Amino acid sequence: MSRPKLAVWKFASCDGCQLSLLSAEDELLTLAAEVHIAHFLEATREVAPGPYDVSLVEGSITTPADVERIQRVREISTTLVTIGACATAGGIQALRNLADVEAYRALVYAHPEYVQTLARSSAIAEHVPVDLELRGCPVEVPQLIEVVSALLAGRKPLIPTHAVCVECKLRGNVCVMVADGTPCLGPVTQAGCGARCPAFARGCYGCFGPMETPNPSALTDRLHAMGVDDPTLVRLFRTFNVDAPAFRTEARRREAIDAGADGRTP
Amino acid sequence: MHDIHTIDPVTRIEGHAKITLHLGDDGEVADARFHVTEFRGFEEFCKGRPVAEMPGLTARTCGICPVSHLIAASKAGDAIYAVTPPPAAIRQRRLLNLGQILQSHSLSFFHLSAPDLLLGMDHDPATRNVFGLMQAEPEIARRGIRLRQFGQEVIAAVAGQRIHGSLVVPGGVARQFTTEMRDRIVADLDEMMGAATATLELLVSVEDRFERELHSFGEFDSIYVGHCLPDGTWEHIDGKLRIMAADGSMLVDQLDPHDYREVFGEAGKTDSYLKSPYYRPYVDGDDPRPGMYRVGPLARINLAERFGTPVADEGLAAFRERYGRIARSSFLYHHARVLEVIACVERIAALMEDPVLFEEKVRSQAGINALRGVGASEAPRGTLIHDYEVDGNGLITAMNLIIATGQNDLAVNRTILDIAREFVDGPQLTDGMLNRIEAGVRAYDPCLSCSTHAVGQMPMAVSLIAPDGETLAEVRRD
Repeated sequence: MSRPKLAVWKFASCDGCQLSLLSAEDELLTLAAEVHIAHFLEATREVAPGPYDVSLVEGSITTPADVERIQRVREISTTLVTIGACATAGGIQALRNLADVEAYRALVYAHPEYVQTLARSSAIAEHVPVDLELRGCPVEVPQLIEVVSALLAGRKPLIPTHAVCVECKLRGNVCVMVADGTPCLGPVTQAGCGARCPAFARGCYGCFGPMETPNPSALTDRLHAMGVDDPTLVRLFRTFNVDAPAFRTEARRREAIDAGADGRTP
Repeated sequence: MHDIHTIDPVTRIEGHAKITLHLGDDGEVADARFHVTEFRGFEEFCKGRPVAEMPGLTARTCGICPVSHLIAASKAGDAIYAVTPPPAAIRQRRLLNLGQILQSHSLSFFHLSAPDLLLGMDHDPATRNVFGLMQAEPEIARRGIRLRQFGQEVIAAVAGQRIHGSLVVPGGVARQFTTEMRDRIVADLDEMMGAATATLELLVSVEDRFERELHSFGEFDSIYVGHCLPDGTWEHIDGKLRIMAADGSMLVDQLDPHDYREVFGEAGKTDSYLKSPYYRPYVDGDDPRPGMYRVGPLARINLAERFGTPVADEGLAAFRERYGRIARSSFLYHHARVLEVIACVERIAALMEDPVLFEEKVRSQAGINALRGVGASEAPRGTLIHDYEVDGNGLITAMNLIIATGQNDLAVNRTILDIAREFVDGPQLTDGMLNRIEAGVRAYDPCLSCSTHAVGQMPMAVSLIAPDGETLAEVRRD
């Protein structure tokens, strides 16, 4: 019986998510026996053409070539899973979506005419249908193994979509926001990390992006009442998941409040 | 041709290494350029953000060595706060960096290079990868996986997680190191020492097969740069910079990284996107190449007198017996990496016995006391410098990151040029040459996404450029 074929694709990213696959040391040997890991479309075109049973896609879309390539990946993939903040929300490089890309390009490169880039860094799902999104910056190894195992077994992966707060309470942490007044994105961020930062008295900074049906306005209103200023609140949402819709919208709302545009006193 | 020139301003690295070979009027290869898009996107979008965020943000430049950025960013933050972290925090950071070097070198050696070195450069590419190695040499592959895992566990113990850890901060670290963490690390030490020394024996036993690579992969004179203690002991995070000439004489010793601009220039080339740092006193005019220097494992063991730990020093002595006091070939980066793996295990073991590591005070608090701060350390691939300027509120106004892979750029170009001169004949590009270039570039373990794809060949695009700028030939291997 032929083994299912797994492919890993990289777009604009730091490689951290696909390295998480290599970090699954204990499961790696087992995994290598269960699936045929075929990485690159072009490298395998001659010997092992698609389709692939499972494609893991890391990274965001930032160039015209990326736009074409992701279409090809979609065509030859039965199941397409995006992994990490870049693939699911555009990643940290989506911070440039807020800036003038032309000015930026001229600043950064000696010969900007050679640089072909899109105005925005965007999530994979903006370009092709995605079967499953696995969050995190980077993804967590156990969740990645869970997804691959579930797909191999033909079942639905068990990935929670509730808030980090749930994990934080289960872990028995003292709430950093209530006890110390530390700004924390835990109430609006999807679980998965085990509430790592609050366990060490740091506020959550949103690596996993927005949870299902978050209420970020309630959170920032509360933080504002606690004395956190608007520029800090805006920055809080503008990190690795800056372009995730719920975070993007809330950052804009606070920005408008800061500018006095909504009629409220800053 | 636009494929060759397409780069993205924010992704610090693309999926493809881009190499252009420039022919001279005589039809011979006159120049080679290795194109990398650098971290410049980060240098722009970090502006306006608080210095305290820099460890977390800059770690995202790279999933392979995020710890190096955590450390350099935190040290730059220390300088801006004008604080000295508590002794326990300094030791925790030392431990963290050792774990990082250990895991990254293990990845480079076992997952990326061992398939070439152990299965042979001509082995079937379909299985010349870490999974092929697992089948052909399961014990060796397992050793590599365990060494990397151990390094990652050391990282997780200090930073909270393996990739993009969050617990290193300006002023120190975020939590106390516990005896439970120590016990987990200590339990594995004997196995790791055994795995590391067995790896060195294995490498030494096969190195003779690569006589040709030894002499054709970057065998040339260059300056060497890296951290080092004043007495010449190998150092990775706390010392200052030593700059050594090709013949082993000292050019500059114990340079404070804060003053790096005094001796290093950054060439903004007209035909590349990458700035090439160079040693300023050797450069007169626009061509930075006379100021070429190498950083990373080979540079570090060339400029240090000793590791300062017994087993690594024994290996270093044997290495010097064989290759001389200054090893010139970049092929020997592999050997240097394995020696550093041993040194890291020995130093981690020593730190586990140090009572200061476990002290409760791990963070110094302060406000913005300086408007510029430079943080430097040895990343696995070489010296990393973060240079920040801030306003009175601690918001970044200017940022410069000097990355190990960028500093090796001139040496990588030279290595490719040497290989190309040997393998390019007329306006043709052959697959044999691509294989050689791949192995030559990989010796530097450049921090490129393409060099870290553990499975398959290094994706790259090579183009041959005529003196008038016309592209004569182009080969692309994805």
